[in-house]
Amino acid sequence: MNRIGNFIRSLFLWELLVGMSLTGRNLFAPKITVRYPEERTPQSPRFRGLHALRRYANGEERCIACKLCEAVCPALAITIESEQREDGTRRTTRYEIDMFKCIYCGFCEDSCPVDSIVETRIFEYHFENRPEQILGKQQLLAIGDKYEAMIAQDKALDAPYR
Amino acid sequence: MPEIQNYTMNFGPQHPAAHGVLRLVLELDGEVIQRADPHVGLLHRATEKLAENKPFNQSIGYMDRLDYVSMMCNEHGYVLAIEKLLGIEPPLRAQYIRVMFDEITRILNHLMWLGAHGLDIGAMTVFLYCFREREALMDCYEAVSGARMHATYYRPGGVARELPDYMPQYQPSPYRSKRELERMNAARQGGLLDFIEAFTDSFPSRVDEYETLLTDNRIWKQRLVGIGVVEPERAIELGFTGPMLRGSGVEWDLRKMQPYEVYDRLDFDIPVGVTGDCYDRYLVRVEEMRQSNRIIRQCVDWLRANPGPVMLDNHKVTPPRREEMKGDMESLIHHFKLFTEGYSVPAGEVYAAVEAPKGEFGVYLISDGANKPYRLKVRPPGFPHLAAMDEMVRGHMLADVVAVISTLDVVFGEIDR
Amino acid sequence: MSDEVRIEVDGVSLPARKGQMVIEVTDEAGIYVPRFCYHKKLTVAANCRMCLVEVERAPKALPACATPVADGMKVFTRSERAVAAQKAVMEFLLINHPLDCPICDQGGECELQDLALGFGGDVSQYTERKRIVQDENLGPLISTDMTRCIHCTRCVRFGTEIAGIRELGATGRGENMEIGTYVGETLVSELAGNVIDLCPVGALTARPSRYTARPWELMAQEAVSPHDPVGSNLYVHTRGGKAMRVVPRENEAVNETWIADRDRFSYRGAYAESRLPRPMVRDAAGQWRETDWEAALQQAVAGLQALEPSRLGMLASPASTLEELYLFRRLAEGLGCTNLDHRLAQGDFRDQAQAPVMPGLGMAPAAVEQLGAVLVIGSDLRGEVPLLHLRLRKAVQAGAVVSAINARDYDYRFPLATDLRSADPAASLAAVAQAVGEISGKPVPRPLQAAVQGVSVEQAHIAIARSLLDAGSALVLLGNQIQHRRDGALVRALADFVATATGAVCGRLEVGGNSAGAWLAGVLPHRAPGGQAQTPAGLDARRMLTQPQDGYVLLNVEPELDSTLGAEALEPLAQAFVVCLTPFVSERMRQYADVLLPIGTFLETSGTYVGLAGQWQSQAGAARPLGEARPGWKVLRVLGNLLSLPGFDWSASDAVATELRQRLGAVGPVEPAAPQVLERDPPEGGLQRLASLPLYAVDSLVRRAAPLQATVQAQEARAAWVGPAEAERLGVTAGGRIELRTEHGRAELPVHVHASLAAGCIALAGGIPETADLGAWDRPVQVRVLAAEAPDLAETVE
Repeated sequence: MNRIGNFIRSLFLWELLVGMSLTGRNLFAPKITVRYPEERTPQSPRFRGLHALRRYANGEERCIACKLCEAVCPALAITIESEQREDGTRRTTRYEIDMFKCIYCGFCEDSCPVDSIVETRIFEYHFENRPEQILGKQQLLAIGDKYEAMIAQDKALDAPYR
Repeated sequence: MPEIQNYTMNFGPQHPAAHGVLRLVLELDGEVIQRADPHVGLLHRATEKLAENKPFNQSIGYMDRLDYVSMMCNEHGYVLAIEKLLGIEPPLRAQYIRVMFDEITRILNHLMWLGAHGLDIGAMTVFLYCFREREALMDCYEAVSGARMHATYYRPGGVARELPDYMPQYQPSPYRSKRELERMNAARQGGLLDFIEAFTDSFPSRVDEYETLLTDNRIWKQRLVGIGVVEPERAIELGFTGPMLRGSGVEWDLRKMQPYEVYDRLDFDIPVGVTGDCYDRYLVRVEEMRQSNRIIRQCVDWLRANPGPVMLDNHKVTPPRREEMKGDMESLIHHFKLFTEGYSVPAGEVYAAVEAPKGEFGVYLISDGANKPYRLKVRPPGFPHLAAMDEMVRGHMLADVVAVISTLDVVFGEIDR
Repeated sequence: MSDEVRIEVDGVSLPARKGQMVIEVTDEAGIYVPRFCYHKKLTVAANCRMCLVEVERAPKALPACATPVADGMKVFTRSERAVAAQKAVMEFLLINHPLDCPICDQGGECELQDLALGFGGDVSQYTERKRIVQDENLGPLISTDMTRCIHCTRCVRFGTEIAGIRELGATGRGENMEIGTYVGETLVSELAGNVIDLCPVGALTARPSRYTARPWELMAQEAVSPHDPVGSNLYVHTRGGKAMRVVPRENEAVNETWIADRDRFSYRGAYAESRLPRPMVRDAAGQWRETDWEAALQQAVAGLQALEPSRLGMLASPASTLEELYLFRRLAEGLGCTNLDHRLAQGDFRDQAQAPVMPGLGMAPAAVEQLGAVLVIGSDLRGEVPLLHLRLRKAVQAGAVVSAINARDYDYRFPLATDLRSADPAASLAAVAQAVGEISGKPVPRPLQAAVQGVSVEQAHIAIARSLLDAGSALVLLGNQIQHRRDGALVRALADFVATATGAVCGRLEVGGNSAGAWLAGVLPHRAPGGQAQTPAGLDARRMLTQPQDGYVLLNVEPELDSTLGAEALEPLAQAFVVCLTPFVSERMRQYADVLLPIGTFLETSGTYVGLAGQWQSQAGAARPLGEARPGWKVLRVLGNLLSLPGFDWSASDAVATELRQRLGAVGPVEPAAPQVLERDPPEGGLQRLASLPLYAVDSLVRRAAPLQATVQAQEARAAWVGPAEAERLGVTAGGRIELRTEHGRAELPVHVHASLAAGCIALAGGIPETADLGAWDRPVQVRVLAAEAPDLAETVE
């Protein structure tokens, strides 16, 4: 009996028809794709994307050149040079991240004692020429300034977990 | 009359079916394979050597990039080795989280494999469906670690952070009606565990869909049944592990045989094949996805019921919480030292292995008591599998090479390291 | 009774000597006991309590650094009680420690961090307020963050016990205890930098390198200090090829664990603005332009080949490496030039044929500690050889009788048995020689008879003579000032006699860290490498610069500062063809030079230095030469190649040293020439100038090290020092300004009054730009008072 059934199913391409009906149903099912870039998939506040250097509310840069991020960076992507600023504080004179070396592990953010270096949820950035992937201090600060509201919100959301 | 010679041909390294950068030198007699010689090393990044020059924790991120389709499982093997040397055990909750994500990773890997396998054989649709589900799992990865692939989430002593109580949601857009948006965000109303639970509810029916498309399909069967048969004894001799071994009918799974973390508390089955051909291995992997789904579900239930720490409260190894670090001298010192120098691991040698989706992923670690590994050796599951390539394809047709490469589930990140 | 006892530490039986402390035994055995206040070179204070260990039958844990060993004693360093005690101490130490790690320079190499990680708890239980302590101003070399201090008192003990300077001390008790300076002034010591190394936390850190580097970024490279003949062993810490700081490298035989501030901070000079980054030539129009090495070398070679070798003068700095000096010698040999010298700071060359093969101590520096008597003549020991001064201090503490014949009080940090103040050391030494002759019955040799004629032997001279004769081992030490003097030959001859007659060793200190190397390598007009006489002798450094030549080759020399002729040395250079191999360029150099070839400083070159005891110490080169500068030996080698001289094909600097070593080995023992008749030169009338190279002006690198130039010592050197009698005669007080004139030029300097200076003397440093224009150091000086008093601050502020 089973053999006859198998023969009939085989003869009439049964398994193929079942498969076709599945794809047919999916043809009319709601799509999971979104219309990027106007529409986006959800992003976690923990997202590790483009780096930024933050400032305090009074405009003072947070970074104190402790070099923990430089030390902890597995890819050696961070380069810091520092000296005593005129007001006697410890500051960087150079803070560079080579975005080609970076592996986005997030250790720099974890290590920062003053929440200065952060990874934002920005992932759509590009570089047109070779040395541009090395982001300098001013660029990183500018990114921080531009997205401070978003960064602050994301970090506040994640703060209870860290 | 000219003498007929075998034809030698390069397969890859730029071949879409080569799964990365495999270069296969094939010797053909007509269309029949006489010899297959895999050339490896094109993706060699010296991960093991790099690890010798970094404090232990800094290499976690590089483990993700070994088998870049089963990221957290690689981390797991490495972290387990360090924990073994340190003689520490993470809190139970961290162990459950790790197991849950190991299984999520297994599904991720098998989905990737299934989609690619389908593509290789000629089934386009499965690929798209598999990636649909992968998307949801990657959202889990992102929610917990901040990265969709290279998570760097496990740490010696636990996991980096607790599971979030929220899931990011789709934002309103002109292309979506309110109802549509609500439907899309339906699974995202609660925390990550709710999201995962919703996934486990729907996933078995998704697997049914794949099976509907493939399992009985005559073309699928014609391409896989009886191809690349490995006898159980031979599979053991060749050092096969994971689905490659179980496809040949050997019941061997580290999760059962030498349970690590909390696998001994969980209820799941080990599927095995009968004939040891590509089709059996396909069936084994599909069943493994269902079993993983079961494990995840059990983990979700346990994690819901048992809140607690996810990281060991021993700041000689794990960094203190940020709040403490900012107001407490001891914590600041430990934070500073852990992030610059790292911890020192007692001298000794260990081997730690996990059942990665592809098989046994092992880490052999030698410490001389410093803050960096003296030597790190990774035992990738894919390497012995690829080594059996020649044996498996000999006598088969050229088109079957693609099916065999695919059934090996090779990823060159781990093979070339 | 035997001194040997055995104690058991953590179950291991260890040998010990009676009187040893437990921590010394465990250190020898490699068992680590945590500590902050204990330091092997300092006395035991036992005030940090970190080294608590459990001792069997002792009711409480005992400090290992202050517990003497006893036979059969059982010590447990990691027992539960010991660990609990250490943990408790650690917690107390951290109570008041500020949360500074991220901005603290010590972070990463901090003993407090390391021990907190290794022996402390991981969470603090302390929630009260932390105390805050006012910072101290310890000068331009040391920055302070006294809140971080944990009161180990290592710095205080270093000051009182090692350096002999009681400037730091502890006040208050308990939580109110503070470390500070007694008078609230900067720390004036040539060794002050050592407290940076001693401080286990970040309370005392190096100011010049403040906030610039983390210890984990730095590569430690071995080096040898070229600033004084002690040849202190250093680690140069570099990052990306740039020297970021210098710390001592322990060598018990040379510098123990200390180095002078000069060695520690001179590296800053290498990055001064006046550094020459690229070769420069003066073109036909007399304009300077930068060029490439090839063009510059070609121009130098063309110029040198056009000259008559006998009309060429070659001068090298005694701070150069042995390899540079030997190649310089080889270059002179190849060119056929005998006018070759390194003794720019020498005033008297009459006795050069009698000189020993090389200057030096005649004994190992460590042997100085065992001496019974020492006579120091004309030496600012603390400025010339700071670490030898430490050894002498230890000798005095061990009972040595040290006397000195100096023109002024150089503030040695040990008591002198006889402190003979004399602006004419020849006369005083002649009296000592006479006394020695009388007491020992060994007559003053004939050539010196004239010199001792008519000197009056006083009680002090006899005391010195007796001290030398009575001691089992003695040293007569001639300082740099004897080298500078016009009658140096006489003083050296007298000292030689005194030493021989008393059985003492005669040591000579000369300017430059490698003057012994220069003597060995034959950078001399009258001797070949190894000391063999060379006839006819060429012109010595002084005559080369007083008798104009057609061309000069200068190796890291700034004649106006290095030479005892002052700016007079520049006059013959202006007309000549001058090739300068120099790391630095100055305005004056641009005026006289024709080709400037940039070479590396001691930080940037491999090479060897010959030290006080004749020991050869090599280094591999720590930092990358700045710009296009190249190590001096390479430049000299290529110059030799371009001049087509044979045998200039070394590929590494050690091959050069090996060749020299072989050449020295082939030379047999050298007999110095017979002594000649020397007479005493009575001092001229008028204001007599006492000149020497001060502490921070010894070579081109030190002169450019900004932190050193900002110190009190460097500022004081830029002043005219007179005695109270002379000040009164001139009508000035301290802080007033005077104008100085010689036949050569003038200078304007503030006045310092120093009680020890005799009337008729004025101490004016050489080696500084302020006094260079006065010309030769031995010219009499005319003084005109510009301002009698220090400017009133209230008036100048307005």
